Amino acid sequence: MDIVVCVKTNPDLQMVRIKNREAVTEAVPYKIGDLEKNALQAAVDLRAAAGGKVTALCLAESNRKAAEDIKVALAMGADEAVVIDDPALAAPDQAAIAAVLAAAVKKIGACDLLLFGEGSSDNYTGQVGARVAELLGLPQIGYARKVEAADGAVRCERSMDDMIETLEAPLPAAVTVVSEINEPTIPGLMQIMKAKSKPLQVWALADLGLGAPAPVREIVSNLAEEQDRKNILFEGTVAEQADAFVNALIKEGVLGR
Amino acid sequence: MEQVECIIVGGGLAGLSAAYGLASAGVEVMVLERGDYSGAKNVTGGRLYVKPIRGFYPELWEELPYERPIARELVTMMGDGAHTTIEIASDRFAGAKPQSYTVLRAKLDQWLAEKVTEKGAMVVPNMKVDELLRKDGRVIGIRAGGDEIGAQVVIVAEGVLRLLSSEAGLAAEPQAKHHALGYKEVIELPSGVIEDRWHLNPGEGAAQFFMGACTKGMMGGGFLYTNKESISLGMVVGMEDMRRRRDGTESWQLLDEFKELPQIKPLVAGGVVAEYSAHSVPEGGISQVPKLAGDGYLVAGDTAGLSLNALVTVRGMDFAIASGYFAAEAVKRAKKAGDFTAAGLASYEASLRNSFVLKDLETARAIPGFMENPRLFTHYPVAVSRLLESIYTIDERPQAGLFKKAWRGLRRDFMNVATVKDAWSMRKI
Repeated sequence: MDIVVCVKTNPDLQMVRIKNREAVTEAVPYKIGDLEKNALQAAVDLRAAAGGKVTALCLAESNRKAAEDIKVALAMGADEAVVIDDPALAAPDQAAIAAVLAAAVKKIGACDLLLFGEGSSDNYTGQVGARVAELLGLPQIGYARKVEAADGAVRCERSMDDMIETLEAPLPAAVTVVSEINEPTIPGLMQIMKAKSKPLQVWALADLGLGAPAPVREIVSNLAEEQDRKNILFEGTVAEQADAFVNALIKEGVLGR
Repeated sequence: MEQVECIIVGGGLAGLSAAYGLASAGVEVMVLERGDYSGAKNVTGGRLYVKPIRGFYPELWEELPYERPIARELVTMMGDGAHTTIEIASDRFAGAKPQSYTVLRAKLDQWLAEKVTEKGAMVVPNMKVDELLRKDGRVIGIRAGGDEIGAQVVIVAEGVLRLLSSEAGLAAEPQAKHHALGYKEVIELPSGVIEDRWHLNPGEGAAQFFMGACTKGMMGGGFLYTNKESISLGMVVGMEDMRRRRDGTESWQLLDEFKELPQIKPLVAGGVVAEYSAHSVPEGGISQVPKLAGDGYLVAGDTAGLSLNALVTVRGMDFAIASGYFAAEAVKRAKKAGDFTAAGLASYEASLRNSFVLKDLETARAIPGFMENPRLFTHYPVAVSRLLESIYTIDERPQAGLFKKAWRGLRRDFMNVATVKDAWSMRKI
């Protein structure tokens, strides 16, 4: 079974700070998102059961080192990697990302199963998996916490509020996974060394026969939430201050709900 | 066992410098870095003296991601309610070819790691090396997690703690008395505010040292370096002095108190603390430099004890880069001769001895001993400030003449057996 996993690299969120309500990403290294690692691991596990090939597909966006960073996916077990790196795609919207990924999947060719994380670690729109499936006319299952493939079909479990739903779709299909699905393995040094010689291709938009995408949405504002302090000072004895403080918390709805 | 030509343990400045030289010459090299990325584990005060290393990899330094060239040097002696600051400024400190820059290691090391990768070396982050593999006394490779990888030569640039090299018997285990604890905050301030507060031309920087009251008499001092849009403010305190202290003062409290001092508070006012970090600093000088090479290995950077605190100038990063350069040269020579034994790698130590690295450390041989003198951190900063304070004081009484005031102060604080002894011991530094 041939699997393509769409993998995004994000600025390392632990390293990002907020300054003037905006994310400071200067000198912040990029990493493969955690949910994409779950998807990769799921692909590697499926391959172990059913054989085939795993291809990691990455749209570089603003990461000029994506071709380097994607090697982690190869070390984790992907057989091949494809990076789409094009200056016209530095800040694409979800529609453009999906169009490019769909074109790339077509160019890759053999694809029985297309895997995604449920959303990216940075913007987390959760749109791309569904959009790509739609463009390719594939059946799609979102938020899978278990994926099995047999007899030309994929069978997934997903957690609903009060039940576990089991869904089946014929292959080829697209599935997005949640973090509960597995614990991604951390590649060892040998795997990292072997990843070096695995095939890695870098394509531009022209290689996909696409032109620069016209954005369909515009980010008007993307600022961190700001909340002013209430600046209430309680006076009196410690006991009085504590009482007044607790009452204020109850009034705010923080306590006693 | 999988084999590569050269494994470098540690992706800091020493390791990356060695990797750059080797990869440029086509040697197969793999750098193993414990942190999430190069620079993640480093703590530096903040200044790289770039003049000593301009000759190595000259193409690199043109692009160096520095913060500010240092144009002003300030030393503040902190006494009892009085303090004295000396400013040393020179057109030749900054200018067209600055002698030193402030740097932030997260930026600097990542940049260098990228350059190294471009040259074809493999830099593997998040990779903790667990053991140096030895066979018949020779280092033959490393073990990381479950994987053993062989190498013709291992360059050990694992940093000050020498966890692997001391376990493998290549270097002595570090001792507290030869180390200091360094800790600092990076405090963000707008660049215009930095330039106003330190009287700087746009883009230029200042370095300021503080000694005396800020360490409460312990060996060490405070430091302040101006970056582009932040300052690095911290302290270095002798580990042994810190350990002997019985009043329960924790190191972080010293820094908090330092920031509250009336001389410092206005400098950091309005700043936002963006980072806090701490690290041990080698202070042992040349007496703590281990054997630099043996069969199948070289040691470089802080692991080799290549760091020099000469009271007003503090160096280490230039030594690290130089030692990496010479390590690469030695490995290239050893490869040509097909001899990675101690004899084949001996040119490394010879190069370091013939360069500023070990020459400057040799010149400063007496400094670590000299700095054990507590009067440096207690008596003198107080005495200098007290003397100058008296000269600048006018009160309701008739004033003594300038010479008399100075003489009185000199006789009281600088002319006794202890100070004469100190002056005598200074001739060696």
